[in-house]
Amino acid sequence: MSLEREKIAIIIAGLIIGLIAGLLVVAGNPANMGFCIACFIRDTVGGLGLHRAGAVQYIRPEIIGLLLGSFILSLIRHEHGSRGGSSPVTRFILGFFVMIGCLMFLGCPFRMILRIAGGDWNALVGLAGFACGIGAGVFFLNRGYSLKRTYTQTKLDGFIMPAVQIIMLLLLILAPAFILFTPAGGGPGAKHAAVWISLGAGLIVGALAQYTRFCMVGGIRDFILFRETKLLLGFIALLVAAFAVNLAVGNFHPGFTGQPIAHADGLWNFLGMLLAGFGCALLGGCPMRQLILTGEGNTDSAVTFLGLAAGAAFAHNFALAASGNGPTMNGKYGVIIGLIVVLIIAVVNTYSQKKAMN
Amino acid sequence: MYYVALFYSHFGAIRFINSLPENITEKRMMPVPRSLSASCGTCVRFEGPHDLTFTIDESHEVEQIVKETKDGYIAVFKSE
Repeated sequence: MSLEREKIAIIIAGLIIGLIAGLLVVAGNPANMGFCIACFIRDTVGGLGLHRAGAVQYIRPEIIGLLLGSFILSLIRHEHGSRGGSSPVTRFILGFFVMIGCLMFLGCPFRMILRIAGGDWNALVGLAGFACGIGAGVFFLNRGYSLKRTYTQTKLDGFIMPAVQIIMLLLLILAPAFILFTPAGGGPGAKHAAVWISLGAGLIVGALAQYTRFCMVGGIRDFILFRETKLLLGFIALLVAAFAVNLAVGNFHPGFTGQPIAHADGLWNFLGMLLAGFGCALLGGCPMRQLILTGEGNTDSAVTFLGLAAGAAFAHNFALAASGNGPTMNGKYGVIIGLIVVLIIAVVNTYSQKKAMN
Repeated sequence: MYYVALFYSHFGAIRFINSLPENITEKRMMPVPRSLSASCGTCVRFEGPHDLTFTIDESHEVEQIVKETKDGYIAVFKSE
């Protein structure tokens, strides 16, 4: 595939993903949240009872679909392979703090774009923080930062997370007593499209993202590193499509205040996404990309996924997650600690590589 | 003749491009072409002799090296 074809493919994919994200809100998902990897992992963790925030408990079929869509297409394209072993514990910690950053902002990079498309200008502040965070990550990448290489793992390793997703789907459908659901009117967890719509949307977006390597972090990173706009075009196409759907169905409400599932504290919106962008740049991809890579058999991304999930549970069990009322004091401490930890990871893994190079 | 080298990390690409002989002036880092890999990492595209051989990778950072031809890519080195 030539570079031009790659660009066209990613623009089309971005338009389709934006369209699907906009329509998922029409189908029942929370406002400006057709997709949100951070929120949906948080809801899923709540559905499993790993946190007790009653407003956000629902096993989201979009997450299941994303992972399985990538898994199925990578199998068809002979691109599935069990690989890993690149600093898994560090990746878990990075995933954990990326989630803390996202839940301060109230959304992953994907939702950040959807919030902008819905007229939530607080997300522009988040975007500024996100871009600065990626810039910080690129600073270290250019100086030799590395989590070391991956190696081929046992074949079974690459199939475990897709299998877990099928179990999650069964738990959602069969709804045994130990699976938690936010009651109707009880919060964002109660707002969702029908299971088959959410699952279908996830499968399509997962396959498109696998085919095009769609990544919210990769777009900005590649532009800073190589002045390459390919992934950035996908990012823009998604924004345009979601904006068009919002405009068409009356879901575009420009402003800073009164935005759905958002707060207007600019400093902490900025710092939350700074942390998310910095952590994601060091991980090599946004939360959605981690799900896609997990579907392809990457066990490091699977560990990152688990880190994101642990971060979500921790954030709600210990009141770190922000809400429409704004950030909590615990959340502010969490973000500051996260920035320090991510900086230490960046410095140590840059300095140790430089020593190895000399 | 142009070649594209793929790596397990961005660090591997930096190390590789710095290790290329000075007489190779056509060299640059860029995103990995989709047709070469599902990975979204960094590769190095460089000009080299027609008969380039590459058998030992002491850094263990090089995933593969391919030669660009008008019919597509031909592998000249692959780890594992």
